[in-house]
Amino acid sequence: MKHDPTELWLSQLVDGSIDSVSLDALIEAAEGNAELADRIGDELSFSELIRQALDDRSPAAQSNFEKALESQGREPSALQSLVSEGKATSFDYDQIVKRLWENPGEIEDLRRDLIEDEWFSQVLSESKSEGAFIEALETRMWAETRQDHFVEDFTLRLEQEFAESDEADNIVAFAPSLFRTVAKMTAVAAAIAIGAFFTVQQFSGRVDFSPAVASVSKASSDVSWSEFSSPDSDGNVKSGMYQLDSGVVSLTMASGSEITVEGPALFEVRDDASAHVHAGVALARIAPNDMGISLKSKGLNISEPTKLVGIDARSENSSAALFFEGGGGVCLEGGGGCRNLFEREAVKSGESGDRFVDIPFNPHAFSKAWALLSGVEKNIGSVRIELPGSEIGPSKQVESEVQVFVENESFRPEDDLEVDTIRVGEFASAVANPGQNLQAKGDLRSYLLQLWPSDGNGAGPEGEVEASLTFDHPVVGVIYSSDRLAGSDASVGSSITNVGETFNARRGLDSGNNQILLSEDRRTLNLKLKGGVAEVDQIRVLVALN
Amino acid sequence: MEKEDRELFIEQVREHHATLRGFVRSLGVAPMWVDDVAQEAFIVAYNRLDEFDRERDFGAWLRGIARNLVINERRKDARRKRILSDNLTDVLLSSSSASDHEEEELGDRGLAKLNALRECIKSLPEKSLGLLKSRYENESSAQDIAEEFSMKPPAVRKALERARTALKKCMDERLGVDSESNGGYCEA
Repeated sequence: MKHDPTELWLSQLVDGSIDSVSLDALIEAAEGNAELADRIGDELSFSELIRQALDDRSPAAQSNFEKALESQGREPSALQSLVSEGKATSFDYDQIVKRLWENPGEIEDLRRDLIEDEWFSQVLSESKSEGAFIEALETRMWAETRQDHFVEDFTLRLEQEFAESDEADNIVAFAPSLFRTVAKMTAVAAAIAIGAFFTVQQFSGRVDFSPAVASVSKASSDVSWSEFSSPDSDGNVKSGMYQLDSGVVSLTMASGSEITVEGPALFEVRDDASAHVHAGVALARIAPNDMGISLKSKGLNISEPTKLVGIDARSENSSAALFFEGGGGVCLEGGGGCRNLFEREAVKSGESGDRFVDIPFNPHAFSKAWALLSGVEKNIGSVRIELPGSEIGPSKQVESEVQVFVENESFRPEDDLEVDTIRVGEFASAVANPGQNLQAKGDLRSYLLQLWPSDGNGAGPEGEVEASLTFDHPVVGVIYSSDRLAGSDASVGSSITNVGETFNARRGLDSGNNQILLSEDRRTLNLKLKGGVAEVDQIRVLVALN
Repeated sequence: MEKEDRELFIEQVREHHATLRGFVRSLGVAPMWVDDVAQEAFIVAYNRLDEFDRERDFGAWLRGIARNLVINERRKDARRKRILSDNLTDVLLSSSSASDHEEEELGDRGLAKLNALRECIKSLPEKSLGLLKSRYENESSAQDIAEEFSMKPPAVRKALERARTALKKCMDERLGVDSESNGGYCEA
C-alpha cells in the first residue's frame, strides 16, 4: 500500500516544523485537491484561534486595532476635543501629530487652544483657582524647603496685598486673591455650617440637661462662639454641635484627651470619647491612659490615634488627617477602606469620598491650634512656637527669634534633675551658680528655648532680643548653663540626643550678658538675651503638669 | 536667601502662575498634572533664585525651567510621565521657544485675559454654563456630559465649542482687542 504523506505534512504545518520541500509538496497536493486545500485552511484558522485564545494580549491587540480604526475616522475637531479632555488614545495622538506635521501652522493654534482650555479650568473650577494653586504650592514649598520662612512670608505678603486691593474695588476684578477665595470659602463654609448646625439641632435636638462630657480647658483671648452653639458659661461641654466663629479653644474630654479647635469651625462632641469636625481645623492630643478616641471629619474616620493628630476640614468636600506624633488608622466613611499611617504622614479623602489621597505633611495650618495646645498661653516679643516634629538641629535656623520647642509633652524623670538657681520676681543675670535638685516627683513637660544670633548683631538695641512666655503650668525648673543642658538632654527625652551631631559646647547662657525673670506665680518667663557671638543659646524650661 | 529675594519670588508667583500653567498645558502636559509641573517649576526657580539675572524677564525664565521639566518628562518611565504623548509634546515643543517674547507671540495677556474671562462667564446662558462646569469643574468627558444632559457626544462638543467661541469673543471685546488682529482666532 502506498503511504500518503499529506497527513504528516499537515501535522508538521500546524506545529510549524514543516520543511520547505514538504511544504512545496503539500501545496502541490492541495492545488489538485480542493478538499485538502479546505482542510489546510481550516487547520490553520483553528490554530490561529487557539493561539489567540491562549494569548492574553490578543483581546488588547484587537481592542487596539479597533481603536486605531476608530481614530482614523475621527474629525480633527473631535480629536482636538479629546486632547483637551486628556482622554485621547495613543492612536488619536498619532493622528494629531501626523496632522500637525503636515500643517505646521496648526501647532500654535493647538497650543493656544490648550492655553485657553487651561484658563477655562482656572476660572471655572475651584480646585484650579488661584487660591487652590497657591495653597498647594505653599504645601510643597514647606515640604521641600522645611526651615524656610517661605510660607510665613507668603501669607503676610498676600494679606497685605489683599488689604490694599480690597480698598480699591475695580470694575474688572483682579484675579481672585487667596484672601477672597478664603473669604468666599469661609462664607460658603459658614453658610453650610450654619445650615448643618440648624439641621442637626432640628433633628437631633440639643440635650440641654445631659451631663457634660468635656470642658473648655483653654481659650485664646479672641474666642467668639455663635449664638446658641457655645459651651455652658461655666465651660462645660455637653453632647451636641458647636460653632466657633473665631479664636482657638481646647476642650478636655472626660477621658483626659484634648481637642483644640481653631475657628471658624463647626464641630460636634458626641460623647466623652468621640467628636466630629464638620468644618475648620482641629488638633487632638490623646491622653496616655485614653483607651481610644474616635474622631470623624468629612469622609474620614480616624481610629486609634496614638498621640497627636490634626484634622483639616476647611475644604468643602474632603478633609485631611495629619499624624504629628504616633501613627494610627484612618478609614473612609462608608466602608471605602482603611489605611494605617505612621508619624508625620498625612492623607486626605478624595473629593468623591471613595479613595485616599496622599498629601505632603504640612502642619502649617495648625500653627494657631498648636500655639494654644503647646501650653504657651501667651508670648510677647520675638517668639516662634515651633510645630511638633520640628527638628532641633545644630545647624543655624531662624535668626533673632526665640524658638520654642516642646521637647517632651509629658514625662516623669527617673532621677532628680539638676536645674539652675533662679530667683523669682526679679531680673537676674544668668550666671554660673551652684544649682539645685528638682525632685523626681510628678509629671513634667520640657520646653527648649533657642536663639540663633543674627551675625552677632541681634535684633533689638545693642543686639538684644526680648521675649516673654506665659505657660499654662507653673515653671518648676529652668536650665540655662551649658553643662546642665547637656546633662539633662537624655533625662527629659530630648530629640537632641538623636540628631547625631552635637551642639556647640557653650550652648547655654554662659556669657553672663543675658537676663532672666520668672514671675512670682511661676507662670511667666521674661528673657533679655544678647545672643552668643556665633553660636546657639538654649534654655530648658520644665513645667509641672500635676 | 535674602528677604527681598523671597518677596520678589512671592510677587512673581502671583503674577505668573496663571500664564505659566497655560504654557505648561500648551506643551502637552496632561490636564491633571499641569499644576504639579507648574509648581515644580516655581520650586526650581525658588531654589535657584540667586542664579536669576534680574535684567531678564522672570516669566521667560520660569517658562524655560518649565520647558526643561517637560523635556525631561519624555525620558521618564511611561507610568511616571505627566505628558499626554511623547510625539505630541515633541511637536508642541518645536513651536515653543520660551523666549522673552513668547507671551506676545501667543497673543497672551495673561491675567488681564483671565479676569476678562471671569466676567464673561457671568453672562453665559445657564445651560452653557452647566456644560462648561461639567467639562471644567467636574472634568467630565464629552461622553459623560452627553449622558448627564441627555445629548449626543458630538452635540456636546459642538455646544462646548460654541460656548468657548462666545467666551473668546466676549473676552477680546472686553480687552478691546480686534479679533482679526489676533490671527482670526476669535471667531470663525
